[in-house]
Amino acid sequence: MSDPVRLQLLKQIGSADHVEGLRSLRDQVHEQMEALLPTRPVEQFNEQLNEVHDAVIQRSIILAEAEMARLGKGSPPVPYAYLLFGSGGRKEQTLSSDQDSGVVYQDPVADPEEVGLYFKQLCELIVAFLQVTGYPPCEGNVLSSNPEWCLPLSEWGSKLDHWFEEPAWEAVRYLLIIADGRCVYGEQRLLDELKDLFFIDMLNHQIILQRMLDNTMRHKVLLGIFGQLLKEQYGEDAGSLDIKYGAYIPMVNSIRLLSIQMGIRETSTLERIKMLVKAGKMSATDAAVYDQAFRIFLRLRLMTTEQSADGLYANNGKLSSRKLTKEMTDELKSGLRLGKKLQRAVFKQTMGRLT
Amino acid sequence: MVKKTMLALGIFTLLFPVMAFAEDPSAATLDMGLNSLWVMLAFILVLLMQGGFILLETGSTRMKNAGHVAGKTIFTTGLAALIYWAFGYGMAFGGDSSVNAVFGWGDFFFNPTIAAGDGESLPSTVFFLFQLAFAAVSLSIAWGGFAERAKLSSYIVFTLFFVALIYPTVAHWIWGGGWLAEDGAQDFAGSTVVHLTGALAAFAATVLLKPRIGKFNKDGSANEILGHNQVFTALSVLLLWVGWFGFNAGSTVAIGDGFFGYVAFNTMLGAGAGGVAALLISWAISGKADITAMLNGTLAGLVAITASCAFVDPWAAVVIGLVAGVLVVFSVKFFEKIKVDDPIYALSVHGAAGIWGTLANGIFATQVLADKVGVGTGGLIDTGSWKQLWVQFESVVVVGAFVLAASFLVLGVMKLIMGFRVTEEQEIIGLDLSEHGAYGYPEQMKKAGQNIQG
Repeated sequence: MSDPVRLQLLKQIGSADHVEGLRSLRDQVHEQMEALLPTRPVEQFNEQLNEVHDAVIQRSIILAEAEMARLGKGSPPVPYAYLLFGSGGRKEQTLSSDQDSGVVYQDPVADPEEVGLYFKQLCELIVAFLQVTGYPPCEGNVLSSNPEWCLPLSEWGSKLDHWFEEPAWEAVRYLLIIADGRCVYGEQRLLDELKDLFFIDMLNHQIILQRMLDNTMRHKVLLGIFGQLLKEQYGEDAGSLDIKYGAYIPMVNSIRLLSIQMGIRETSTLERIKMLVKAGKMSATDAAVYDQAFRIFLRLRLMTTEQSADGLYANNGKLSSRKLTKEMTDELKSGLRLGKKLQRAVFKQTMGRLT
Repeated sequence: MVKKTMLALGIFTLLFPVMAFAEDPSAATLDMGLNSLWVMLAFILVLLMQGGFILLETGSTRMKNAGHVAGKTIFTTGLAALIYWAFGYGMAFGGDSSVNAVFGWGDFFFNPTIAAGDGESLPSTVFFLFQLAFAAVSLSIAWGGFAERAKLSSYIVFTLFFVALIYPTVAHWIWGGGWLAEDGAQDFAGSTVVHLTGALAAFAATVLLKPRIGKFNKDGSANEILGHNQVFTALSVLLLWVGWFGFNAGSTVAIGDGFFGYVAFNTMLGAGAGGVAALLISWAISGKADITAMLNGTLAGLVAITASCAFVDPWAAVVIGLVAGVLVVFSVKFFEKIKVDDPIYALSVHGAAGIWGTLANGIFATQVLADKVGVGTGGLIDTGSWKQLWVQFESVVVVGAFVLAASFLVLGVMKLIMGFRVTEEQEIIGLDLSEHGAYGYPEQMKKAGQNIQG
């Protein structure tokens, strides 16, 4: 997509006055971007794609606010930040990513219940609007419309404390989700304060790292002991590679865990790698190869099977091995070897810190 | 207690003085008695392997067919007993077997003497039972190809032909003094006779029946139809494993100098090696240590060592088991790739491993042991001669061709005349309901038509 066209579309997204219009704009963008994938460097493609996603999401939120006002419920009673988690938080959305979201709003001085009700209704609208624009809701219900994920700052604080003190499997998962949180709309400072609380708790509960390690090393890299690719054996996707969980997620998890230990607040994996070098946690040569490997994973992930289900853009993260050229297979294999090496390094470093 | 026993014995001695002072039995009688006990015990063990097949087949298939799958094994074992008595035994071992190299003739509706005659090492009744149990095992292996979609009536008709003609013919060729026996084909307890024969009948059945609904997708990829109870499947392997000591060690059909212990020893090594190899290889190639593969590997080790357990050194038993364990994993993949649905993995476990076990004799058999058993010669490694390997190869090819042709003929004609497969509706509802009118797991299964689980 040439830049003028892209800017034109972004502008149109920014001024769309109903969700149906947003949806048709998103459809147009997708059509154009799909054709572009093979021709551009993946990080540029990724950046532009995420710009479009952000624009669509921001516009949906504005439309939802307007709808609230139209319904006579007024405007937001206190400042808030609309957060994206998961791939949205990491600025790594594909053409078909689902919604993982939350809201942090300023502690109200009066009428906390009324304020809570406003945000509940607003978020329900936002999630519904985003569904119309083609974003399926998160299966794990990490959604702003879920009252557990739409809270004032002080309640977020006690929630974090609770998770840190009782790091059950689910709590650890939630903490890792928070680490990828990014403010897509609203007051950035509210998220900053939330992250402050997160990193202070981190320092006081180093043992959580062990639990995070257990949680994030669960996904094994797609490489067998003979160096062969491990493919799906059965079902519709037989012969496919689970790029999402066998290549992309293990790398994301490893880099995230290193970053959390260093207090790095960047959420995108490539930026985190840069910051790790700055922090002296990773050598520039290592960073260069990990960076390279991650770009390969990003590109392959963008090539995975698209499924359109009930008008929603969906994707199972699996890539038919028939789509891979010999050259890409070799790249993937060397990338996976690096992924394995990184996992081992993270394991050693993290355990070393704990003992 | 001891006092009472002594008293009773004392009284009996007074009452029946003749018994107390009777002549000691001769060494030959004692020998015959011991042999009979051993082979009878072996028969019981091999019969109990049907319990293994019930659990293996049921555990590997779905809940909606459980009652049918389990029950039909008992039924066909009973039917097999009658048919083997009437015809099968006569075809395999009847009359003066050596008269005819192709099949036996005589002793139909077998009417045995009530005790062992002079010079006989065991009563013919015990020998009959032992042989019958083998035929029934081979039959149960064949059912693997029928699973989850064949009509109940086809089980009855096929039992008739398999137990009266197909199995006895092979048994005669190799064990009954037939022409392969004369060539010196080594198959101690039946890698070929029992396992390969059963597996090839299963192959013919599964090819003629076509895959189960939902096994393969339009694009040719396979779906995994998981069995409903892996605990059953594991337990079945243990039952079969235990039964196999009757199968292999019992095939010495004599106590003699205790050689059966050596046979049992090799059997144990082969089984262990099969399971270990299969688990490791499945781990290495798919990244997951697959339980089903490991169970199949253990059985494949047992199947493979069956032919060679009396002919090879212990190290060779381990090698034979290891190769069988690896082979079975790739064989399962192969059959899936050529779109042959093998629900119980009979083709791989009993077929591929049966062929390997038979050929392994030609490689690993030692001259010393071949002389001891009195069949064939040593294999390639011990003697450097290809002769035995060639004989083994010949027996696999000839038996394979015969069983395949006969099974395709019988089942093909059945398919034409009476139909072989249940209707699609019956298959989806499950054979428990369609063939027998009641579920094996009534509480777990919803009423027919209400969202039946695949």
